[in-house]
Amino acid sequence: MEFLNDSVQLSRCQFALTAMFHILWPVLTIGLSLFLVAVEALWLKTGDVDFYRHARFWSKLLLLNFTVGVVSGLPLEFEFGTNWAPFSAMSGDFIGNVLGFEGAMAFMLEAGFIGIMAMGWNRVSRGLHFFATCMVALGASLSTFWIMAANAWMQNPAGGHVAAGRFVVDDYWQAIFNPGTITSALHMWVACLETSLFVIAGLSAWYLQRGRHVALFMKSFKTALLAAMLVAPLQIWLGDASGRAVFLQHPEKAAAMEGHWVTNPPGRGADWALLAWPDKARQANDWSLSIPDGLSLLASHSLQGRVKGLREFPVANQPPAIPLLFYAFRLMVLIGFWFLLLTARTLWLWQRGKLTVSGTPCLRRLMLAWVASMPLGYIAVESGWLVREVGRQPWVVSGLLQTAAAASNLPAAIVATTLLVYVVLYSILVIMFVILARRIIRKGPDTGLDPVPCAALAGQD
Amino acid sequence: MSVDVHIFLAGIWYLLLGLILIVYVITDGFDLGVGVLTLLERDATRRDGMMAGINGVWDANETWLVLFGGSLFGAFPAVYAITLHALYVPVSAMLFGLIVRGIAFEFHVHAHDKRIWTLAFGGGSLLTALMQGYMLGAVVSGLPVVDGEFAGGMWSWLGAFSSVVALGVAAGYTLLGGTYLIIKTSGELQTISRRRSRHAAWIMLAAAACVTVATPLYHGYIAHRWFTMPQVFFLAMLPLAGLFAFARLMRALDRGADHAPFTWSTVIFMVSFVGLAASLYPYLVPPEISLAGSASSSMTLVFMLAGIGMLIPVMLVYNGFQYLVLRGKILQVSAERDSVTGETGAGDAAPDDHRNAGGNPAESGGY
Repeated sequence: MEFLNDSVQLSRCQFALTAMFHILWPVLTIGLSLFLVAVEALWLKTGDVDFYRHARFWSKLLLLNFTVGVVSGLPLEFEFGTNWAPFSAMSGDFIGNVLGFEGAMAFMLEAGFIGIMAMGWNRVSRGLHFFATCMVALGASLSTFWIMAANAWMQNPAGGHVAAGRFVVDDYWQAIFNPGTITSALHMWVACLETSLFVIAGLSAWYLQRGRHVALFMKSFKTALLAAMLVAPLQIWLGDASGRAVFLQHPEKAAAMEGHWVTNPPGRGADWALLAWPDKARQANDWSLSIPDGLSLLASHSLQGRVKGLREFPVANQPPAIPLLFYAFRLMVLIGFWFLLLTARTLWLWQRGKLTVSGTPCLRRLMLAWVASMPLGYIAVESGWLVREVGRQPWVVSGLLQTAAAASNLPAAIVATTLLVYVVLYSILVIMFVILARRIIRKGPDTGLDPVPCAALAGQD
Repeated sequence: MSVDVHIFLAGIWYLLLGLILIVYVITDGFDLGVGVLTLLERDATRRDGMMAGINGVWDANETWLVLFGGSLFGAFPAVYAITLHALYVPVSAMLFGLIVRGIAFEFHVHAHDKRIWTLAFGGGSLLTALMQGYMLGAVVSGLPVVDGEFAGGMWSWLGAFSSVVALGVAAGYTLLGGTYLIIKTSGELQTISRRRSRHAAWIMLAAAACVTVATPLYHGYIAHRWFTMPQVFFLAMLPLAGLFAFARLMRALDRGADHAPFTWSTVIFMVSFVGLAASLYPYLVPPEISLAGSASSSMTLVFMLAGIGMLIPVMLVYNGFQYLVLRGKILQVSAERDSVTGETGAGDAAPDDHRNAGGNPAESGGY
């Protein structure tokens, strides 16, 4: 196969695999650690032991998830150097710096307190334990900010100039808070919250629907549901804001993900292709099902706004795999709306007094819908990243460095070997994770677990 | 900013990176060493005890590697690019080792069949230690660079010299792991750890002696540095200091001290590290890449200093605090317990979880 002899393509594949695999784990760490802050705070405030048991139960899953996140994150940092040496040399002045910040501020905070959070229940005072939980959550969320700042800079390399093939930062503020940072960091952070909330609610629904620990899991289900009431609409709003930012900053990416080829003439709106099959060779859609003026409305919030078509850009600068962008984007949006719908429906039942401990047997279908929705957040996150990263191609740093020029000159056989090892390792990892997580979930929370009385912890502050 | 300031800033980052690296090498060194030691242990209960000794701290130890990578990338992008490109094979193998051992550690807690995971944990740890040694050996040997890009072969890191260095590093980590277990254990496991520490120390000394003799013979630039007046006096103190620390280590092992063996092992590592840094300076990757020539712009170095440099003391404090909370000897390890137990608490008043009368109630509802 041609592909196996091309070390640049192999490096891209390896990076895509390791990045797409890695992102699965921090998503839950970020959201679940905040949920743990919430249940621990509720326990401390209300004294309700159920919240203590929740904290103990969910932190088991968090730890397992955290470890996979830590070890799968290591290759990403080092791959910049091993597989993308020219990219590292070119962008290190900014990207390396930001990765260092992420390590020092965020990751270190997480790892420095997770041991206390996991093993400190009977060793430190309640206040100190709560502080450790907060630091883990803060570290995880800060990490989102720095990684998104680095990635947003690759999309919008602001705040400096290129000299002798190296990017030199002139203004750190502009580089960190480049035009993409705030929207994308918020969009990703809320995506982590939303995915985690649907995992928490989905697992709680699984117990509810099986009639196990119903009173206990009704509490986590309702906590997650209340949070989802805020998060699900917020994410749709942020998604819309991110989408409009793409139309402004990267019209070629936006046109590709919407299958939009020809700029609409003045006085006429651009149609929005709901479904289509974009064909790059023909520079047109093979077929499409369109809504008149829809795209103008989405892109500019006006019926006749001008939306640049993909044909305005040279074919060499158009993103590859346009159908992938087109459908990945739609899948993400669809999941966002499904989450909103499911949340609204469940809230409505709650409002009518049907969401009660005794009433759960009558809500079997609803509960199964929540269980089935657990993986959807992850699918939406992966789809979003596919659109973001594939849509930036052929550039690795938008407008400054092309992907083909950013790869290390490596023998294809060596990259193919490491790629194969990653495939094997990560497959084993996922299988084992599922087996062990299932075991924790089947076993369920320890309902005999009571907190150590404060008096026993006295003098340990 | 002027050239002098730039060189000064690059020098500061050389020191800071050295500090981050030595913290990494000592902390992750001991937990990698514990991993290597589990390979030598036949008794499953003792193996579990050894692993319980590093529970809760190993991920934070590994974080220093992440910090080192990020800081090197930011402060010396060219060095980051060239070394990682040149060391593609050992770096990838190290990453595989780190993934396997990290996962095996966590899975071992939950799995029914623990043997395969302890084996994976030990194997991954050994692979990681050896690969880090090969990387060190390869960097000291020098990497060919043309036009700012690595221009050597993919296997040039593999040779007799780097193999001896790799053996030395793996033995050194094992020594750190063994002496750390002396702190964390008591009774039989502690006695065994003392014996193993002694063996590891002798292997490390032999490898270090070979490396010290071979380095000036093979690498002219180091010979030049070592045998020039007046550096020779300063540099000659380092092997002497190393030998002194070694003697103290052996004495501490003989008289059955708890903490002294780990302390003296740490001193040996620090002395070797200073020797290495002094031999390489001002090169980062001999013979082409010097400190000032590969550093980021002065502004970046200052910005990083404000962001990362200032946080290093804070990180050291809360990492130290975690060790303080989790201090104490491993009591017992039993299979039913989950990951969060198995050690004594910080104080005497650390009772186990209070259970409701009637024990663990049966699960309501069923599968």
